[in-house]
Amino acid sequence: MIKCKVCNNEEYQGVLFCAECGSQIAFVSEKRVNTLVYPTQIRGVNVDFTQTIPKKLMEESTFILYSTEREQVIDLPDQEEFTIGRIVEGQVITPDVDLNIYEAYDMGVSRLHATIRINREKNLFFVIDLGSANGSSVNGYEIPANSEVPLNHGDVLTLGKFNMKVILPQDMK
Amino acid sequence: MVDKTDFYSRLNIGTGASEEAIKKAYRLAVRKAHPDVNKNVGATQLFLDIQEAYKILSDPGRKGAYDDGREPRDISSEILTATEFSQAGLLRMEEPQVIYSLLDIVSVKDEEQQSADLPLNIALVLDNSTSMKGKRLDFLRAATKEIINDLGEEDLISIISFNDRAKVLLPSQTKPSPVQLESALSDLFAEGGTEMFQGLEAGYEEIRKTPPLNYVNHIIMITDGHTYGDEENCIALANTAADQDIGISGLGIGIEWNDEFLDQLCALTGGQSLFIQDLEKVHHFLEHSIVSLKEAFSRRLTLQIIPAPGVKMLSAFRILPESLPLPHQEDFSLGILKKHQPHRVLFEFLVDPIPKKISQAVIASGEYLVKKKIRDRVIPFTLDRPVIPQSKDIEPPDKEIFKAISHLTFYRLQEKAQQDIASGHPGTAYQRLLNLSSHLMAKGEDSLAKIAMNEADYIKTHNNFSPTGKKELKYGTIRLMLPDKT
Repeated sequence: MIKCKVCNNEEYQGVLFCAECGSQIAFVSEKRVNTLVYPTQIRGVNVDFTQTIPKKLMEESTFILYSTEREQVIDLPDQEEFTIGRIVEGQVITPDVDLNIYEAYDMGVSRLHATIRINREKNLFFVIDLGSANGSSVNGYEIPANSEVPLNHGDVLTLGKFNMKVILPQDMK
Repeated sequence: MVDKTDFYSRLNIGTGASEEAIKKAYRLAVRKAHPDVNKNVGATQLFLDIQEAYKILSDPGRKGAYDDGREPRDISSEILTATEFSQAGLLRMEEPQVIYSLLDIVSVKDEEQQSADLPLNIALVLDNSTSMKGKRLDFLRAATKEIINDLGEEDLISIISFNDRAKVLLPSQTKPSPVQLESALSDLFAEGGTEMFQGLEAGYEEIRKTPPLNYVNHIIMITDGHTYGDEENCIALANTAADQDIGISGLGIGIEWNDEFLDQLCALTGGQSLFIQDLEKVHHFLEHSIVSLKEAFSRRLTLQIIPAPGVKMLSAFRILPESLPLPHQEDFSLGILKKHQPHRVLFEFLVDPIPKKISQAVIASGEYLVKKKIRDRVIPFTLDRPVIPQSKDIEPPDKEIFKAISHLTFYRLQEKAQQDIASGHPGTAYQRLLNLSSHLMAKGEDSLAKIAMNEADYIKTHNNFSPTGKKELKYGTIRLMLPDKT
């Protein structure tokens, strides 16, 4: 069996497209070729939100998370691996990225919700759900806990109910 | 067994094959026989034989000389079949695998020149229930008049209207005069309910007045409603009609008619079902139906396909000349075979692990039956693939089959979204249509992508499809499969 990288659905060897989400699953490079287009683009309200991202950031970073609802870039550390969650008083292990300012609690974000792993050499990006209470999803498909799920430019990563758009500046050039 | 001394059979093609077909067959044969792939004893010799055959056949001068020296032509090779697979080989593995196959059948020129055009025998079966009142019937009348102009001198036509009962407005005859037609159509007014069987049966009887052997026989039905309680009779009639080489095509107008039922009915005979919202397109549909029937090379084409032991046929989808999901069975009515144009079906097979000693595995075998004016033609075929190690780098499939499978995926997604709604999961349907929309957008199908997106939004608020959306998506994704999407 082969696994769809987008929705984790299992298909027989030889199947070319996932029957559940329609993504191509065979003969794609490690990174998915056709990432999902963001709905607003199709609805005709073509908001080019990248305009709101500082140019300097677009030039210097390899990985950006953008809250479309807040129209804000989320502050990320310059590390190959970091955790995302929310900080509460007395917490022993705190996440590298604190989403409290985005009302993370109401959004169902766990204290240690997910890890982002970046492989700069191969230009690969992954999210790992750390067994969060409300789960995570990529493009609307729930991802399993504790396993690497690849992220591509244009993907929507959801922690609990908090949506973030994945932007890979070098993929836009 | 193939005749090893014949260059044509070395490439597994007929004597009428075009330059293009020879090239294609050569590539296929080489791929199959290449010593890197085929480890059988004698494979190298086979490979060299193919090379030799191609060298001659690809050179027009040498081909001519070779043809002249050959024995009289084997006439059965002038209808050709060709297959393409999603993978060059089946993988040697411990679990089941899926393989897709694109099966083409095409008649080649020599054969066509020998056979005269088949005249048409058409029954137009028009719904005149109350809901057709006004504009719909007006357009229908106008469209009918126009297409009758397109008929040839030998073609037969009958016109039937139906509501609770059927009325023969124009008994089966050759092209009617304008006065005759006017008087027949003046009897077409709206009243009563919709009972399809009445109309179909009357159409069937009109066609049967002339022995079907020398004609391309077809019932064209136009309706805007549901039929009630007589579905089984309709299906039975469709089966009987198919057996007598009578096809049925249906056009649904508006949003109320039962698409699933009409699809099923038409698929049984190899006909086509379509949906239109725009009344002005009634004329296009009728014209297209007539024109395409006129291109018939055979009265009827049937296909029987039997999966090998350990192989299951998961689905079959006709792609050319009209796209249509085929019913789940092993005998298919494929409608007519057109001249020059290939008839193409996409199959999806699930193959169990292959026993170790087998190096060339049969997936399925079967035969086409081409029913022609004078005599019928049986074209057998076998779908088989070499077994290749799993570790090997597998080449991606050719563009044509890849595209066909991609479009099939779109069709399936909207089908699944319908099932999601039916089983009470509108949230899943919503997500699925978003995905469908995304994929369509990525393929440049902007307008259909927008329809899918609007439907997703509609489902979010209404927990169900919009009245037109379901049909628009379904027939929209079916239409994608056609190379020419008009």
